[in-house]
Amino acid sequence: MFAVGLTMVYGVFRFINFSHAELISCGAYLTLMFSSPPISWPLYLAAIPAVILTAAIGMSQEWLVYRPLRRRAGPIALLIASIGLSYLLRNVIRLIWGSDLLGFGLPAARGMEFGGYYLTGTQLLMAATAVAFLAILYLLLTRTLLGKSLRAAADNPELAEIMGVRMVRVAAAVWILASSFAAVGGILLAWDTNLEPSMGVSNLIKAFAAVLLGGAGNVWGSLLGGLVIGIAENLSVAIFSPGYKDFFSFGLIFGLLLLKPRGIFGITVGVR
Amino acid sequence: MDYLIHILILALIYAIFAMGLNLELGYAGLFNFGHVAFFGIGAYVSALLCRAGVPVSLAMVCAVMAAAAAGALLAVPALRVSGDYFGIITLVFAEMFRLVCLNERWLTKGPMGLPGIPRPAWIAPGVEGMPAYLLLAVLTVAAVFLFVRILTGSPFGRALKVIREDEHIAQAFGKNIQHLKIKAITAGSALAGVAGVLWAHYISYISPADFTLTETILVLLCVVLGGRGTNAGPVLGAFAVVCFGEMVRFLPIPQEFHRYVAPLQGIVYGAVLVGLMLKMPDGLLPEHRRLRS
Repeated sequence: MFAVGLTMVYGVFRFINFSHAELISCGAYLTLMFSSPPISWPLYLAAIPAVILTAAIGMSQEWLVYRPLRRRAGPIALLIASIGLSYLLRNVIRLIWGSDLLGFGLPAARGMEFGGYYLTGTQLLMAATAVAFLAILYLLLTRTLLGKSLRAAADNPELAEIMGVRMVRVAAAVWILASSFAAVGGILLAWDTNLEPSMGVSNLIKAFAAVLLGGAGNVWGSLLGGLVIGIAENLSVAIFSPGYKDFFSFGLIFGLLLLKPRGIFGITVGVR
Repeated sequence: MDYLIHILILALIYAIFAMGLNLELGYAGLFNFGHVAFFGIGAYVSALLCRAGVPVSLAMVCAVMAAAAAGALLAVPALRVSGDYFGIITLVFAEMFRLVCLNERWLTKGPMGLPGIPRPAWIAPGVEGMPAYLLLAVLTVAAVFLFVRILTGSPFGRALKVIREDEHIAQAFGKNIQHLKIKAITAGSALAGVAGVLWAHYISYISPADFTLTETILVLLCVVLGGRGTNAGPVLGAFAVVCFGEMVRFLPIPQEFHRYVAPLQGIVYGAVLVGLMLKMPDGLLPEHRRLRS
């Protein structure tokens, strides 16, 4: 889910948004805020304002920083600004919630056995939520006018604009979609594990790997890439020591970038 | 007084570190987000060699050479990709380096780090050696500054700037872009190595926690704040950043707010980076450009 948002921004704006990581954390932390006292909403209800607020943060990034920068400055400035934003937001989170591990305070879920594999109810629910959101995304991209203009803008922004696609609206849609997906992904992640200020960054690097594996700008490729990385990383523990679990996905990025910069599927045109 | 010297030494080390990044980012236009890895390689190689009984000065030279070699080795394959991807490759390289340091306990002692890194024989250990170390740092910075100045004033430096502005033009003038970029990265990494060596022998203790993305952001801030593509810019930027970081300690902050200081500092760094890009992309010392007629 992280990878999908990242690749949407990359597909349209051609730059890698480092602060995507903090949108992931924002989603999780805001949910924590709404679900804990004094508001104390149940988790599924708390997630709604959290996602909306994260989308608002994503939008304000675009309005305040990225749009003015795109007009005037080159790719270096965008990249540096996104790193700066990422660092800024991460420290805001640290300031408000501290650097300690936090959780949603759910009771430990009982595992269910499926032919020798253990899954918790949470994990099943996570998978179901992810599938539901991706299905919505699929319908949005393929069945609506907005989806059409998004794909057109990803393919060739100037041509799309000439044909009457409002780039301002497309940009807004991309940021809202990308940040809501980041937020939902963050909430699911925090649900299964913990919350910490750097939770976004460590997962963003893996999202990069997924994006690269699937081919940058290709939403479905990223999805498959994410699955492959998740499985491969956990299998790698069997061979290497667990300390090298992250090393494995980094190594994968390294190798892929050098050998197959277009992704293993080699799809350059496709459903973006 | 000792504290003042400490700040100066730190700023000088960061100045070298930033000058290295500036060669890549400011002159050649390469986004190296893994610059800290070469700082770390310099620090670790020198520390490990000293602990193995190699004389300090020899270890220092070897470490710088190791950092330069690592830079060249990374550059050759990494330059096959361009732009953003180069940034990711270097970022990933730095993280991989850190993970190796963290996990290869037999060599680096993992998260415990390497203590007791000796200083050169003519510098006394501890506080007494600080003025002498300052002298060493000043001399090194002067040498590095001269080196960078000669390098960037030469046809090589001008060719790098052309590459930054437009690769195709450089190519049309018969410049071997790949070679020039590799040279720039090698030189930049060597300088990062110099900074790492100075740092390791000054602090006398290193651990993988010293070589994280935060350091990369700090050094990036030094370069961007001072002015990309200028020689004095990174030095000025390094002094500004280090002095700001140390000044915060003197603010009258009540005890119960101490845990808010580090995040606030981070917020300021991030905000300055974003603000600079928006309002002052050239930094404090803008690069001199001739107007096109």
